[in-house]
Amino acid sequence: MAAPCRHVGHHIKRNGRFLRIHLDQLFASRGFRWTSALQQQGAEVHKESKEPIVIPRKKSWSSEAVLEALASTVHRDPTAHPYQFQDDPYLSPRTSAEFKLFSLSQESGRAAAKYFVNNNPKFFTKDFAEPHIPCLMPESVALRLEEVSEEALKERITLRKVSAAVEMYDQLLQAGTSVSMETTQELLDLICLYCDKNPVQDGAPEVEDAEEAGEETKRRKPKGRQAAHHLRTSWKENNNAERIFNLLPEKDSRCYSALIRGMVKHGAYSKAFSLYTDLLNNRLSADVHTFNALISAVPDARDKFNERWDLITELLNQMNEQKVRPNLLTFNSVLKALRRCGFLAKTYAPQTLNEMKALGIAPSLATYDHILAVFYKSGSSGPNNTDIIQDMLTELEGTSFTCQDPHDAFFFSSAMRICLDSKDLELGYKLHSLVEVGDNWRLLGDSYQQSVYYGRFFSLLCMMEHIDVVLKWYSRIIPSLYYPNPQGMMDLLQALDTDGRLDLLPTIWKDIKTLGHDNKVDLVEELLSLMAREEHSPEVQESFAACALDVKSVFDGRSSMEWSTSSLSHVTTLLLRANKLQQAWDMLLLFKAKNRVPSEVLLNNFLSVCQSSGTPKRAVELVQLAAAFCVPATPVLAKTALAEFQLTDEQRSILSEFEAAPEKETE
Amino acid sequence: MHRLLSRTVVAVRNRSLCVYECCVLPAKIDNVSRPFTGVGANTISTCTVRRCEKKVDAIPSNQGEATNVDTETKTTQLQEELLEANDGGSTQQQRNVKAEQVLSKPSQVKTDGAKSGKKSLLDLLGAMKVEVTSKRKLKNLKTKQSFESAVQYKSKSGAMESTISMFQKANVQASAQSEVLDPDLVAAASAAASTLPNRSRAESELLKQLRQRKTLTEAQKKGDINNLGVLIADMKVGKTPGRQNAWPADQIRFDDDGQGYTRDRGITSELANVRKRKNIFPTKRLNIFSPTTDEQRGDSALAKPTLWDMDFSNELSLTTNQMPRNGFEQMIQWTKEGKLWHYPINNEIGLENEASVPFNEHVFLEKHLDEGFPRQGPVRHFMELVVAGLSRNPYLTVQQKKEHISWFRDYFHQKEEVLNEADVYLN
Repeated sequence: MAAPCRHVGHHIKRNGRFLRIHLDQLFASRGFRWTSALQQQGAEVHKESKEPIVIPRKKSWSSEAVLEALASTVHRDPTAHPYQFQDDPYLSPRTSAEFKLFSLSQESGRAAAKYFVNNNPKFFTKDFAEPHIPCLMPESVALRLEEVSEEALKERITLRKVSAAVEMYDQLLQAGTSVSMETTQELLDLICLYCDKNPVQDGAPEVEDAEEAGEETKRRKPKGRQAAHHLRTSWKENNNAERIFNLLPEKDSRCYSALIRGMVKHGAYSKAFSLYTDLLNNRLSADVHTFNALISAVPDARDKFNERWDLITELLNQMNEQKVRPNLLTFNSVLKALRRCGFLAKTYAPQTLNEMKALGIAPSLATYDHILAVFYKSGSSGPNNTDIIQDMLTELEGTSFTCQDPHDAFFFSSAMRICLDSKDLELGYKLHSLVEVGDNWRLLGDSYQQSVYYGRFFSLLCMMEHIDVVLKWYSRIIPSLYYPNPQGMMDLLQALDTDGRLDLLPTIWKDIKTLGHDNKVDLVEELLSLMAREEHSPEVQESFAACALDVKSVFDGRSSMEWSTSSLSHVTTLLLRANKLQQAWDMLLLFKAKNRVPSEVLLNNFLSVCQSSGTPKRAVELVQLAAAFCVPATPVLAKTALAEFQLTDEQRSILSEFEAAPEKETE
Repeated sequence: MHRLLSRTVVAVRNRSLCVYECCVLPAKIDNVSRPFTGVGANTISTCTVRRCEKKVDAIPSNQGEATNVDTETKTTQLQEELLEANDGGSTQQQRNVKAEQVLSKPSQVKTDGAKSGKKSLLDLLGAMKVEVTSKRKLKNLKTKQSFESAVQYKSKSGAMESTISMFQKANVQASAQSEVLDPDLVAAASAAASTLPNRSRAESELLKQLRQRKTLTEAQKKGDINNLGVLIADMKVGKTPGRQNAWPADQIRFDDDGQGYTRDRGITSELANVRKRKNIFPTKRLNIFSPTTDEQRGDSALAKPTLWDMDFSNELSLTTNQMPRNGFEQMIQWTKEGKLWHYPINNEIGLENEASVPFNEHVFLEKHLDEGFPRQGPVRHFMELVVAGLSRNPYLTVQQKKEHISWFRDYFHQKEEVLNEADVYLN
């Protein structure tokens, strides 16, 4: 004990001065008072190590940190509906259509409320909140400044009233007032962004004529698909943007930038390039956004692959000459353009990626998506080499992404398509584990993209995975994340068939009904044929029969669904196997009602069931029915019935008539 | 009745006695509580002393002249109640009441039974004070004062006044304070207003300003409470079914010592590294850009976001799935929108501009009276009251308090000549 102490003491003695000086500096810089107590403590703590003390500084946490920590403790509940529907159990979606409807109505309700608040600010003047909450107060959407002034113009620009702003600008020019450069730039930005059309206000009722539906419609999903053609509002010759631009006495690069970006956005590609040459002739330099826009316009401006790539490299070189620093979007648009450069792409896409990495620009998911698209053309199937995607996923493993490019949302679904095409289950799992990292699930995109992704994943599972695992996934993602389409259910049925778990069919049928796919005739027929194909144990047959009756009731309830012969006979077979003679007889009558003819096998089956249950009357009726259908096997049936049943004389005479009759006809 | 009367007289005498004592005392006696030997003189405060000091020169000529019949009866009445109050109110013996409290007491009269009489008394008091303070000039015969008030002035001594104030002090408990404005303030305002010729108008102006401030205070106070209620109602208790290893890496916004958290990835990362080494892509690159040009990065961040940038970020937010998955994520979203109290809870949120203001700025406001206000007199008194009230008001910012005071500064400044004429604006 004493020896180490002495040793330590010696050590302190030797290093004491150094330590003190060191600590002195350290603490002096932190603003601490140097007390003797502290001196002692400090010396004791550090008597073993010569390393300088690093006192951790105060960490400042973001205001969401506590909530984020709490949120990370909550796991997804696969049996629960998505969070946004939990308020009202009545409005819990069961099908994808309902999901869409409910989430859209929720969203549009919010938009409507916002619209009402913004348009009637006088009713919403009370501000109870302390501290003040700006987002709860009405935004000003109406114009307040009426006089002709630059202020009024600015107001119109901030409120995004395109035509009113243009009008105000013209009035200002007529009045001889000069408008400042900045305001003019903003005005040009506004006109070019919306292509000289007024954007639809957030939550505004759709009374505006269809032409007015501009860019803003895209943000609202209800109109998302239908607005796709509005989105392509084409750039018109000499529209207000060009007019104002041409009238400008001096044009700076931002004005050019606004116009070029507007032209590219609205499809006037060649015009954009001619304006760019104009810009170069004026010895101005473009900014990075202009270059990005131009690069993304290249495939539309040139026809041949070589020309396209040459133009891209030319633009990139010009960027370098003008000392414009490329960003992520630059390279993403290069890669996107490369997708349309055919054979050149496979050479240059990796080089572009390397260039990005050399410049220290971290690729986003969109970058990887473009590269995948280059190497895995959807058309060229066959034994694909999955090395690239394998490599890519290994590289990305455990990375959490944020959305940096609108195209990012396509990565997961297209990567899953490649996994599905190459039937690589390992790869699929790897991809899905990437989705589960951090907030990556947000990058699955909107509900449509998400269902595409999960649909492919589920198909892959059904195809490659053992049925138990498939069912595990099934209960995990359906229906809390994914509402499978009929094809997905068909895949599941096939998977059940392959692994011989047909006894689960009745539960699947229940899910099919819940998912609203019970009106898909081919799916129902597939289900029935799978159930009727083989004989199972009596319990299973019993449940199958109940299921078949359920299917029958669905058919009866819907006039749109037509019974086919096969489905009728499947149901009848199932009922016969469960010894439900009366219901089977009803099915036979249904054959007649629907003008369908039962097969001989079915009739023979029926007869044998009649025999085993000992109901000669039903057998006679069967033969009569068969005769009515003009089934060629009627005499055989009659003969069997005569031979095997205990019949009354009357019944015998009827049957012998049938036994003889067709023979006469044939003779 | 006779006894009472005689007692009153005795009391008055005692008071005048004490006044004499006060005269002897040095001018700056403050917060001294003195025992008095009168019948009803159990309670007396330094304020009275101060009052007396101020009226030192006025008192000798007037004391003992309380023989006017009208005032005599009133005094009797007062004295009566005073006695009652004193019987039970021995606890009030040693009180360090500040000047404004004394001054404000008169208003309490309203709530008592003998309303009309006392109201007039209050008015008298107001009028009297003017005369008391303007006494020196009065000697030089300022004829603007009405004869009546002059008589009343003469009829009352400084001692008399202190009696009244004491009476009102005793009444504090009994009074109901349900007026829109505190009656103290009303009374003080009217007292101050009475120094002006156009008395009712001045009073209403003063009261209006006070009332405005009061509504503002109320609003800010109520806002707090309501908001809290709404907030609590909005809160949801999320369930936490177990723990997770995941530790959101971006929780720490910045780390002063520069040491971020590095997580070890385990064996898979090693395998990944093995794989990474044999990259199938050739290492060739385009060789267009040179990797070291960092100087331009700053200006893009500094620039104001254009319409295009806003459109782009909007597009980004649309392409991603922004739906919250649980209650906490919903709360995160609300926090980002500013609808929710920030965690960890900080009571002073939203008061950032007040955070740097020290407490003494809020409480010791009298330094603001140094400029633009008279050193003494009713205006000074009134302002001392105002300042005392403000110093206890937690719902106003220091800036608002200063504005409040400066409003009065301007107001009295505007009325300066009127006040000077009335000889009450002592500067």
